[in-house]
Amino acid sequence: MAVQPEVEKKGLWRSFTEGADDIFTRITAGISAGEFRRMLRGEPPGRPNPRLKPHSEAFLLHIKPTYYHESVTRFTHTFRLGILSTYLFLFETITGIFLMIWYTPSPDQAYADMIAILSNVPYGQFMRDLHRLGAEMMVAIVTLHMVRTYLTGSYKPPRQFTWFTGVILLVVTLFLSFSGYLLPWDQLAFWAVTIGTSMAEAVPPKIVGETVNLLARGAPDISANGLLRFYLLHVLFLPLVLFLFFFVHYYKVVHFGISLPASEEEVGQDTANKVPADKRVYFLPDVLIDETAVLIAFTTLMIFLVTFFFSAPLESIANPQSTPLHTVAPWYFYWLQGMLKIADKTFAGVILPGVLLVLLMAIPYLDPNPSRRVRDRRVAIISGIVAGVVMIILSWMGTPQYAAQAAPPVEVVQEMMPEEGAGIVREIGYDEIPNGVYDTRNDLPAMYPEEEYPGMHEILVEFEDNIKYWDKRDSDFNEAYGVLTVSQEQPNLKRLDWDIRWLDAEGVEGSFQRSFWLHKDSLYWEEYGLKDFGYLMPTEEEQ
Amino acid sequence: MRKPWYSIFYVKSPIAKIGLGILAVLAGIVLVLFLMATENKRMDAQTASWEGRSIEKGASLFIANCASCHGLDGKGLPVVAPALNSRYFFSQRIDDVGFTGSLKQYVKGTIHSGRPSKVSTQWVNIMPTWSNQVGGPLREDQVDQLVDFVLNWEEEAMAQTPEEDPWQFFQDSLSKQLPYSPDEPGYDEKVAEAIAAAEAAGAVGYEIGGVAAEAPTEGEGDAAAGPRAPEDLFASLGCAGCHNINADQTDESKGPVGPNLGNLADHAGSRVDGEDAETYVHQSIVDPGAFVVPGYMNGVMPQNFADQMSEDEIQGLVEWLLSH
Ligand code: HEC
Ligand code: HEC
Ligand code: HEM
Repeated sequence: MAVQPEVEKKGLWRSFTEGADDIFTRITAGISAGEFRRMLRGEPPGRPNPRLKPHSEAFLLHIKPTYYHESVTRFTHTFRLGILSTYLFLFETITGIFLMIWYTPSPDQAYADMIAILSNVPYGQFMRDLHRLGAEMMVAIVTLHMVRTYLTGSYKPPRQFTWFTGVILLVVTLFLSFSGYLLPWDQLAFWAVTIGTSMAEAVPPKIVGETVNLLARGAPDISANGLLRFYLLHVLFLPLVLFLFFFVHYYKVVHFGISLPASEEEVGQDTANKVPADKRVYFLPDVLIDETAVLIAFTTLMIFLVTFFFSAPLESIANPQSTPLHTVAPWYFYWLQGMLKIADKTFAGVILPGVLLVLLMAIPYLDPNPSRRVRDRRVAIISGIVAGVVMIILSWMGTPQYAAQAAPPVEVVQEMMPEEGAGIVREIGYDEIPNGVYDTRNDLPAMYPEEEYPGMHEILVEFEDNIKYWDKRDSDFNEAYGVLTVSQEQPNLKRLDWDIRWLDAEGVEGSFQRSFWLHKDSLYWEEYGLKDFGYLMPTEEEQ
Repeated sequence: MRKPWYSIFYVKSPIAKIGLGILAVLAGIVLVLFLMATENKRMDAQTASWEGRSIEKGASLFIANCASCHGLDGKGLPVVAPALNSRYFFSQRIDDVGFTGSLKQYVKGTIHSGRPSKVSTQWVNIMPTWSNQVGGPLREDQVDQLVDFVLNWEEEAMAQTPEEDPWQFFQDSLSKQLPYSPDEPGYDEKVAEAIAAAEAAGAVGYEIGGVAAEAPTEGEGDAAAGPRAPEDLFASLGCAGCHNINADQTDESKGPVGPNLGNLADHAGSRVDGEDAETYVHQSIVDPGAFVVPGYMNGVMPQNFADQMSEDEIQGLVEWLLSH
């Protein structure tokens, strides 16, 4: 109806409110302003339920079920892990696009771009930390989501295929994280990915392994081509695969409904379409409010962690000529690194993980147990726990703590000032390390008491303890002592010479020297730990 | 049915959830605002931090690659390489060579491609090429780290008085003024030093500190003046920069650049089979590469001393070294 005749007929005020209501209904895809008010007041919907309209009108909502069974909306049933996995994927996409603006996937540029993001882009470090933390969280949360569906027996008929696609999502998530690992092009990235892709090389027969390796790296070693390939996998191919399989996965979830607690649903029973009216919890508004609150709270938690406790590491630029001591994979691959230490590459790196993966996918088809109740599933639950414990032990074996120790003097210096990363000396920093000669044969901690030299005291205690520890442990490392010489190399630049001396089992003297430099302005942070906000203090000139 | 203990997590109230959501949004905004307020300082700190790390890496590269010529402290070695830790270098050098870019670009260019020419240079070896883009051994980022390290001497160098400045005369600054004004203490000594160095390098027709001088041309000056004294040669040819004549060469104390020469007579006769002390020392001066003292590098000691002294002078130097 044209405007003028309408106003003439209904009066100005009524035509205005009706017009506004019409617009509101269009925006909400079917909820009128009055209905929205009733929702907020917590009033029950009328019949037929006008709150179902958005599910048929709006694309995004048509994916969501219109109501859930009351029992599955309890927090402790799903822990919201599935929705959090989905959200983290979105979260990574957004933070990732922000980083992409400044990033060039080329060995000449990538590392410099990372430094530029950290030091020249407002909120650059924030976004990078969020993206990195999000990636690690996503691996953890997807895994926990798998654990929860395993423990509740939700993979049993009819949801076998949901589980199967879930495993694919897990694998894609791991690859996404791993392919992103290379992009900063620092030593950490380069060597972790070199080790990772070298496993592909172990695929038998030789010709296949070599071809796979060549395809992944784009050359016998990772270089410009490899970086570009990993970049394309990371920003394009793997997200697309994940996107696709997510919809398959979620379609199945909606199709069968989220499984009820074991006591309320037998295996094979269809509960999705038979929810009693009094058990229904409608998506609008109850579940929507719940999920929105959870996601907002989770986002704030991430921001909080990144502001104070998490900083993505960036080591020296990738150098194919020098492998840093103690190269490690990202933590979620420690278990693989642990296996590689006790078995050969083809078996532990390819065959065993392959078999494990197939077994994992096949669990729903192999488990003949017709019950989902915990007390009937002792074997399944105990084997699940055993598998978890084995993973943790293998992961521990993957860290440098286990069977990867270098000679004691090297380890002592590595502990104090590692070749890459922070370490106690760098974290304490330039200002607290006076020039001088520190010989552990003297009682250093007493000469540099804690009240007067808090930082140096800590360093010296640690230095002594480390030497003593190895002296006790290694029969080829006796009567050991160390001398640390700190001298001024340049304005604001100190030189630290570490000199370790010992007698071996035959009494022959050995020595080891290593020099490092430390600049006043260098900030070194551990990946996990309280950030140092020292830079907020006014500088000397300003005071 | 008894409710399990974890039923406290079954939050049903939408008000509680909306409340949690609003609180979380507010907390998130506070955090983002905190970051916004500190963002400039953080970016400055990061910028300084990455430059600091670059200097740290540059230091270790300098010790490994450059110190043998430019000295551990960057103050240069006579005849071998110029000082970089020098007030002249930071205040005057690029004007002298007529370089139009910044000092940083000058240093980067020099390290990157070296000075791959022997033409008109007073140094025994050329400044090598370092970047692997032009055939050197270092990556470009390592060249940048060295630049940061060299430039980090600025504060120390600019505090030098003219006497402390280890700057050495450059042939290519022949027509240029000295860096310091005549009012500064030490100016006259610098001029005298520069003239002496210019003469030693055989320069012709130069002007230093307003003093125009004609250096002796090849041969005639030497002949007229007769052989120079060995102790003067030892100083003016830069031997003293690498050798300590007053200290003994022992296992405990070794000269850092070249061997100490205090006890040269004790072992000169036994270094090379079939060569007596005189022959050996003579050869060490005119052809240092013939026998390289263990623990030292070949090519550090200049190879062209034979061209800078007459035979008589070399003989005198040999005798003086052995009898000292
Ligand atoms: C073989 C000896 C040698 C080594 C090694 C060497 N240099 Fe040089 N360097 C020289 C000489 C000789 C010159 C002077 C070249 C000229 O002016 O012709 C020079 C000049 C320079 C200059 C320019 C000085 C000026 O005032 O023009 C810089 C900067 C420099 N070197 C830095 C370095 C750095 C950094 C390294 C280590 C990567 C290094 N050099 C290694 C011999 C050396
Ligand atoms: C740039 C540093 C440098 C300069 C300048 C230099 N030398 Fe040397 N010299 C060395 C080094 C390094 C060695 C040891 C390596 C070798 O034998 O070539 C050496 C070795 C010697 C030796 C043998 C020492 C021994 O113990 O066997 C003699 C003699 C000697 N130099 C004399 C001189 C004299 C005389 C001059 C000045 C005319 C001079 N050097 C200038 C670096 C230098
Ligand atoms: C990117 C990774 C994944 C995403 C985004 C995702 C998403 C979801 C979502 C939103 C649900 C709804 C129920 C809930 O929140 O728990 C769900 C259920 C389910 N997921 Fe996943 N999932 C992922 C990975 C996995 C993995 C790795 C597995 C197991 C191997 C898995 C197996 C299941 C099963 C069996 C269900 C049905 C649970 C039930 O009915 O109780 N999913 N998934």
